[in-house]
Amino acid sequence: MSDRTPGHVPYADTPTVEAPSTDVELDRLWDDPPGLWGRLRAVQNDAVGRRLILTGFFFLLLGGTVDSVVMRLQLAVPDNDLVGPQLYNELFTNHGSVTMFLVILPIFEGFAILLLPLLLGTREMPFPRLGAFAYFTFLLGGLLYYSSTLFSAVPDAGWFGYTPLSGPEFSPDLALDFWVLGLGVAEVGAIAAAIEIIIGVLKMRAPGMTLARMPLFAWAVLVMAFMILFAFTPLIVGSLLLELDRGFDTQFFNPGAGGSSLLWQHLFWIFGHPEVYIQFLPATGIVSMVLPVFVRRRIVGYTWLVAAMVAVGFLSFGLWAHHMFSVGLSPIVLSFFSAASMVIAIPAGVQIFAWLATIWEGRPVWKTPFLFVVGFLALFVLGGITGVMVASVPFDLQAHDSYFVVGHLHYVLIGGVAFPMFAGVYYWLPKFTGRLLNERLGKWNFWLLFIGVNVTFFPMHIVGLMGMPRRIYTYPAGLGWETYNLISTIGVFIIVGGFVVFVTNVVHTHFRGAPAGHNPWGGDTLEWAVSSPPLQHSYSVPPIVHGRHPLWDQKDLHGGDLDDERLVHALSEWPLRWRAALITGTSDADPEEVFRVAGPSIWPLVAALGTVAIFAAELLKLRLGALAGALVIVVAVIGWNWPEDAAITEEEELAFEERHRIPVRVGGSLALARWGTGLLILFLGIAFTSFLLAYFYLRLENLDWPPPGISLPAPGAAVVAGALVLAGAVSMYRALHGIKADDQRRLRVGLAVAAALGGIGVAVQALEVTGVVFDSQTHAYGSIFHVMGWFCLMVAVAGIVMALMTLYWAVRGRYTARRHVPVANVALYWAALAVIWVIGFATLYLTPLLT
Amino acid sequence: MPNDVFGSLDPRGPVAAEMADVWWFMFGLGLVVFILFAVLLVSGLFRDKGSDRGMGSSSHRWIVGGGVVLPVVVVTVVFGVTLAAMRILPVGGSGDAVVVDVIGHQWWWEVHYPDHDVTTANEIHMPVGRPVELRLSSADVIHSFWVPSLGGKLDLLPDRVNTMEFSADEPGEYRGVCAEFCGTQHAKMGFLAVAESPAEFEAWLATQSQQAAEPVGEVAARGREVFSEVGCADCHTIEGTDAVGTTGPDLTHLATRETLAAATLPNTPEHLADWVGDPQEIKEGVNMPDLPIGEEDMAALLAYLEGLE
Repeated sequence: MSDRTPGHVPYADTPTVEAPSTDVELDRLWDDPPGLWGRLRAVQNDAVGRRLILTGFFFLLLGGTVDSVVMRLQLAVPDNDLVGPQLYNELFTNHGSVTMFLVILPIFEGFAILLLPLLLGTREMPFPRLGAFAYFTFLLGGLLYYSSTLFSAVPDAGWFGYTPLSGPEFSPDLALDFWVLGLGVAEVGAIAAAIEIIIGVLKMRAPGMTLARMPLFAWAVLVMAFMILFAFTPLIVGSLLLELDRGFDTQFFNPGAGGSSLLWQHLFWIFGHPEVYIQFLPATGIVSMVLPVFVRRRIVGYTWLVAAMVAVGFLSFGLWAHHMFSVGLSPIVLSFFSAASMVIAIPAGVQIFAWLATIWEGRPVWKTPFLFVVGFLALFVLGGITGVMVASVPFDLQAHDSYFVVGHLHYVLIGGVAFPMFAGVYYWLPKFTGRLLNERLGKWNFWLLFIGVNVTFFPMHIVGLMGMPRRIYTYPAGLGWETYNLISTIGVFIIVGGFVVFVTNVVHTHFRGAPAGHNPWGGDTLEWAVSSPPLQHSYSVPPIVHGRHPLWDQKDLHGGDLDDERLVHALSEWPLRWRAALITGTSDADPEEVFRVAGPSIWPLVAALGTVAIFAAELLKLRLGALAGALVIVVAVIGWNWPEDAAITEEEELAFEERHRIPVRVGGSLALARWGTGLLILFLGIAFTSFLLAYFYLRLENLDWPPPGISLPAPGAAVVAGALVLAGAVSMYRALHGIKADDQRRLRVGLAVAAALGGIGVAVQALEVTGVVFDSQTHAYGSIFHVMGWFCLMVAVAGIVMALMTLYWAVRGRYTARRHVPVANVALYWAALAVIWVIGFATLYLTPLLT
Repeated sequence: MPNDVFGSLDPRGPVAAEMADVWWFMFGLGLVVFILFAVLLVSGLFRDKGSDRGMGSSSHRWIVGGGVVLPVVVVTVVFGVTLAAMRILPVGGSGDAVVVDVIGHQWWWEVHYPDHDVTTANEIHMPVGRPVELRLSSADVIHSFWVPSLGGKLDLLPDRVNTMEFSADEPGEYRGVCAEFCGTQHAKMGFLAVAESPAEFEAWLATQSQQAAEPVGEVAARGREVFSEVGCADCHTIEGTDAVGTTGPDLTHLATRETLAAATLPNTPEHLADWVGDPQEIKEGVNMPDLPIGEEDMAALLAYLEGLE
């Protein structure tokens, strides 16, 4: 054992996974099909992950690099006329939108999807088709957004799109629709990938890899994915309201008709601030992986780091208003958000000192990934210090919207996020290409970027304090800003040099990189135990884990509890005709199920096309096209979930179940279905909460609610409808109890009654909402009444459809006392829908009575 | 041109001075924290490890000491300073304050002195040493009012009035800008805060509250006609004439102003000619159109405008 303790890890002398004779057969089974048609159907995590990263990098070159060079050239000298105001406004809008929505996020989601199965010791992500869907929506959304250039309607209201500037009155052309809708599609993709990542981390780990033994990168992306769910959902709701204002003449953001100019800012920053940490957390996850390997010591304070990441996740939702210090909030609110913004320095401090302590314990090996980690530490601490400064209200009133903030945020996002990203690429790319990146070029890459970032962004702090505001396309001479701006412009070319060296290095490596071997860095985590590049399924014999550093502490990666040992070896021998993977316990990582992972399919692409069709139809004002898109999605979802051929006999299945005392789910995992339903409900709950927030915010902004001339609709019909829906939910639970007692009749009657009662309830309420005397276009009161009402109705309609589908299968005798998870899932959904319905309509019909 | 060069760190009024003090305090503290971090990092990376086998249990003391205690202390101190400064900063409503209503437009500033019935644009005159209460709102999109050497920012919203207060310690022309992106010409939406002695300020008010000067001479009189004929009067007001447009700045005392086009150009005859002749060239996208005006009419128009003392 002692020769494996860190500090003495010899290169490559770490255990590797077993390579049974079935390697080749399994590799072929898991491979994506060949040819163009095959590529369109590819769902493998390595294909999806790689595509996300490459597409994100492509958008970075377009929107991150080209834009910034032009902007810096324009600002190099005062009164410059290289570009005019319109183009400049388009450039910075694009730069912010692309980097925040189309670069960092997809790259990290790509890292997660590519790496997680290897890191966690499993063969795939839980929903490969959802992963493929996430990629295609992201790609198509990005293209839809960028297609604005073809129509000469380029978004120009900033990446934050403040109303009313972004509303129909001041941005009447299609430019902002491209912005809302294109990025909206990409946001759908981000949420899909987040669901995939959450369930992957929680349910698909190697036996023995308890939560407390998970690699820190897995923790980081787990927190990131939850944050995406909680942050992007309000943004989607906000974007929906903005698009309704733009396309359907609602009045949410129109101050002239009861709307509020600040409602958008609240909805946007509830997303926008967590977004910064969504980008930052995975970066710290990479640092926590790379740093210990290059100082040859275990990470110090693993538990502290996990706690810090979770704390950052929670805290980041409590400080959005620090982007709004100058909008005229009351001193109490200002003090609260100021304090909350500063408190986040504590988890950041914990992380920094855990890394410092690890460095102190170890001996650095100065390879490129480690250089980027050290560069990250220096730049991020600087950005963090200026971050605490701008949390101080009096100072922020000077710094806000000045170049000081531009300097601060680029230290955080380039130093704090891009540097770890580069560390991650230099660290992990050899695993997937089998070749090491060149160290000499790597050092050039690092130093050019490190110097370039400081030369570009440090002077911005000074010129910001001198009074230079952001987002100006030119500035007059004589204010003392010239030198600093010129230095910044020179700096950006040094950064570009760093990018060129990076691309050169990747290309160079492709042709003549040195072979990497299994474990070129002496890493401690599972991915270094497989060949470089890995097999399609990564592990023929899934590993068994006994600690946080399996490669440093274990001699054998497949030994352990006898049952587990037999199980993982059995998985290398059976099944060989369908893709099998293990589901393990959420916290203890004990094997729970062997399930069939979905294979290649064209339907994710079709569903993504349907999604983009809905958004594009709104863009082109072809509202029937949206209907067609919705229809395409329905067809795609049916095709997507169509049962595959069993490929094995029931006897085979039962024999395996008996031998290993573990259920085999050829039709798909039940545990995953339950988690999927849970996250769907969570998503709906967050969306609904966002509507409530908008409702009460508008109500507080309006003295009269409902506005004069409109009387509150009588609650009679709504009470009847609510009672019907509640009775439906009760009936749904009676159905569930029925099937638990193996009573097929009670199941069918319960489902039928639920669908019928729900259907009548929806009909009554729909008639009531369409029959109210006020419309959605005259006043914000009517806008929110109609939109929230229809949201609740749609949630209920989805529940009725689910009930009918379940009824269809129930009539065909598909459910038994033991196997009825779909019924349980639908019942859970109905409980959620009843809660949403009651709160939603009580808000609309009853709360205005309380004054 | 403005004598103020070093923005928010060259305060010329108590509000900006307080904010600058907060900055210098945090700068000092931040510098200490960064040096501490840098020393730890560099010595950790390069210290002679020899036979040293790490720090054992002391590493957790690092995290508690450096990661929890240090930030808690720093943040508490910074928050205390923040609260103290917020308490000092005036929120408006001082008894002897000069009240000024500022209304943001794309891309200029409408300025009213409601107690004196004075309307002007892109220029805020204030007596040295006396607080000015600014009541900010917007006619269109969100703007933000910022004079770095006098104080911080406050947004101009279309649906509420925000109030702030500042004052200047010494006479001077302090440059202000719009700090919230507000559309095409956000960059050229500046103004001047002109601090002057109380006597000068009273004199200025007296001038501004008068009606427009009558044109002197035939050419200028013709200019007044041109002003109406070509459409200037549709958007601009000149008190005492039939020009009552409100979409553009009030021009009653245009000739007394320091700048043109929202602090884009100094107010000289040449620049005035350039601006009126081709506004789109000087401020691309501005709502003021290029009007087809003949050479003679233009000369008359300029003569009239230059006489609006």
